[in-house]
Amino acid sequence: MRSIAVALAVARKDLVSEWRSRELVPALAQFVVLALVIANFGFQIDSRSAPAIAPGVLWLALVFAGLLAFGRAFAAEKEQASLEQVILTSAPPAAIFAGKALAAAALLVLCEAVLLPALALFFGTPLSIALAAAVFLATIGMAALGCMFAAMVAQLRAREVMLPLLTLPLWIPFIVAGGQAVQVMMGGGNSYGQALWLLIDFDILFVVLTSLAARFVLDE
Amino acid sequence: MSAILAAGITHWFGSEPALEGVDLVVERGDHVAVLGDNGAGKTTLLRILATAMQPSAGGLEIMGLNARREKRRLRARIGYLSHAPGLYPALTAAENLAFFCDLRGVDRARVPEALELMGLTQVARRRAAELSRGLQQRLAIARATIHDPLLLILDEPDASLDAEAPELLSRVMQKRTVVFATHDQALAARLGHRTVQLRKGHVMGAGSRLHVVH
Repeated sequence: MRSIAVALAVARKDLVSEWRSRELVPALAQFVVLALVIANFGFQIDSRSAPAIAPGVLWLALVFAGLLAFGRAFAAEKEQASLEQVILTSAPPAAIFAGKALAAAALLVLCEAVLLPALALFFGTPLSIALAAAVFLATIGMAALGCMFAAMVAQLRAREVMLPLLTLPLWIPFIVAGGQAVQVMMGGGNSYGQALWLLIDFDILFVVLTSLAARFVLDE
Repeated sequence: MSAILAAGITHWFGSEPALEGVDLVVERGDHVAVLGDNGAGKTTLLRILATAMQPSAGGLEIMGLNARREKRRLRARIGYLSHAPGLYPALTAAENLAFFCDLRGVDRARVPEALELMGLTQVARRRAAELSRGLQQRLAIARATIHDPLLLILDEPDASLDAEAPELLSRVMQKRTVVFATHDQALAARLGHRTVQLRKGHVMGAGSRLHVVH
């Protein structure tokens, strides 16, 4: 129970801080819209090419928005010199980590609320619960991995470079399965259920692994 | 049982020694002032005592617990004030304390009391970013003591505080074991039961690695 209370306290603190400072979400929302605008001009989009291109554009925008969101999760704590104070409270490291990941994932979900309608506008993707579910499931696993690596590189001067180098290779399973799910939504495939189960499997795997690693990452 | 038993604490930053063979015994209820010039190793020693970092070598037992193996149990009994206040600028003074109550599993009802003790009641609803450096330092001290720790480790607690600092600090130090670092000899003499002088990572003393000035 204490772990849940700690995780919720950390997540609430991060969300309240973001709500008051409005540093990240507006920038992320602008970023994803700009990415879609550029992709719209960069590709020759028509009704035949959209199903092939839209999933790639969606995941590219999401991946880079995620890197920004998860990178800030621990970089801000480092700049404020507050992370050490949190770790020294004897709160379970896995709970602290879960709270940070929860808040970062919530911020990314807010961006997705801008991204998905914008994608529908530019690329004609259907706005459906099934599409949102695939993106949401990918966000969970991406948040777990992204926050773990963000915590690892927070102490480094070259953290902006190191975070993508460490995170992107492990995000590939989410991009593959998520991309497959989105393609089905657009009539380009026939295995939505399989893609969704794959995302759930990856979520479970990476949430468990990162929770186990949290103690070593945050404490040592 | 001693509050702190440190034997041969040594720490290296790369090839630079920060502390070399420091022995320290602090009895319960003792107030020990750590003195020394910049770079003497005061902060490193205090961070090791607070379990914020592990020494490269040496043994450390605090409140009868091994500082390496029982870190989490120990942290529940230690209050640590670091060099930087480490506050959340977007949260109010009261919210900063309430957050740490949640992390420590302490009743939030302690927040008003802690604010009052540090003279922060008037600014309880102001964001930490809007507080002066001195008020931020008071808030950081309040956070270090919100869980009523047995051992208090304070790194330059008088930094940015006004003339009331000694009175304020003596209030929070009451009935606790305290190790604090300061450059202020007068403050050390006033608040410390004894002092430890560090120089270039060594505890000064003729022929001894530990020199305690009573």
